[in-house]
Amino acid sequence: MKRVECEFEAEVLSAALQARWPDRVDTELRDHVASCAICSDVIAVAVAIDDVREETRLCAVVPDSGRVWWLAQLRARREAAEAAGRPITAAQVIALASAVGLLGACFGATSRWFQASLAWVASSVAGLRVRALLPSALSLLAEHGALVLAMAVIVLLVPAAVYFTMLRD
Amino acid sequence: MLRDTTFNDVSRDCVLDDACPAFVMDEESFRAFYERTARGVWAYLARVTGDRQLADDLLQETFYRFLRAAATYQSETHRRNSLYRIATNLARDARRRSLIRAPFSSAGEKIERVPSADHAGATERKADVTRAMSHLKPQERAMLWLAYAEGASHREIADVLGLRPASLKPLLFRARRRLATLLGRASLEEKS
Repeated sequence: MKRVECEFEAEVLSAALQARWPDRVDTELRDHVASCAICSDVIAVAVAIDDVREETRLCAVVPDSGRVWWLAQLRARREAAEAAGRPITAAQVIALASAVGLLGACFGATSRWFQASLAWVASSVAGLRVRALLPSALSLLAEHGALVLAMAVIVLLVPAAVYFTMLRD
Repeated sequence: MLRDTTFNDVSRDCVLDDACPAFVMDEESFRAFYERTARGVWAYLARVTGDRQLADDLLQETFYRFLRAAATYQSETHRRNSLYRIATNLARDARRRSLIRAPFSSAGEKIERVPSADHAGATERKADVTRAMSHLKPQERAMLWLAYAEGASHREIADVLGLRPASLKPLLFRARRRLATLLGRASLEEKS
């Protein structure tokens, strides 16, 4: 099995991180690093990363702690208010839907005109013959095939595009 | 995100009172903790994502989520690890949403400062490190940064990255090998 760690690794790492490498370490340790692939990698990587660490930290322009605290408070309060308002909104939607349903039922039960219209629609649907419609549909497709295809593509693609855009946002 | 809100919004909307949500941490402790850790977390995010603007955004989000977590911590190290875990998850989410440029292009180089003539050699060496790191996977960068810039133990790195401690050693070994090879190649190119 391939060796992935060395017993001197910690010692080598602390020498690198404490800037003791290579001048202020024992000769044995230097000799070991020269002959150990793991420790030479540790030295190379630790020294390189330590080189860029301070510079990266100095590049950081972090916002003031007080500002972060206040904005976090503000955001938490806003989110709490939104969370508290969610059940109220749901109740309002349900109440509105129930009221509309109730009104519709009352209207349907009392209006003669509505009942007559409903009966007419039902009889029209029952009398509809699909086979009779088929030839005219086929001729429409033959004459305006490209247009029908474009319409179908739009109907299918537009909702998909909207969905993916919303997802990305 | 937090940076969308301005100070004007704060003064107009938020006269904090008892109705404001309280965090487990009080303001004084938070500010002290932030002063101790913010630069380190920013550097970590900048190195893992390779994008300092994204690091700015993720830094604020990290501290916000840390405050909202309402967790209690056994020690400062535990608290710090938790913060880095949040930062890691946010960086991972950002990558999934393709906010991080692939395959890094020269994004990493934006982190470095403008070189001065006196420090050309050192600056070149640092740019080499940045370039070499940009060829690693984000998880490898995170692992190496935590180990060699933050001095985190294997257990802590595993905890932050959500890995099993046993599987960390070979992963760290491979990441280190890759970076050492890339650095060796860069130094050879420099010499030639």
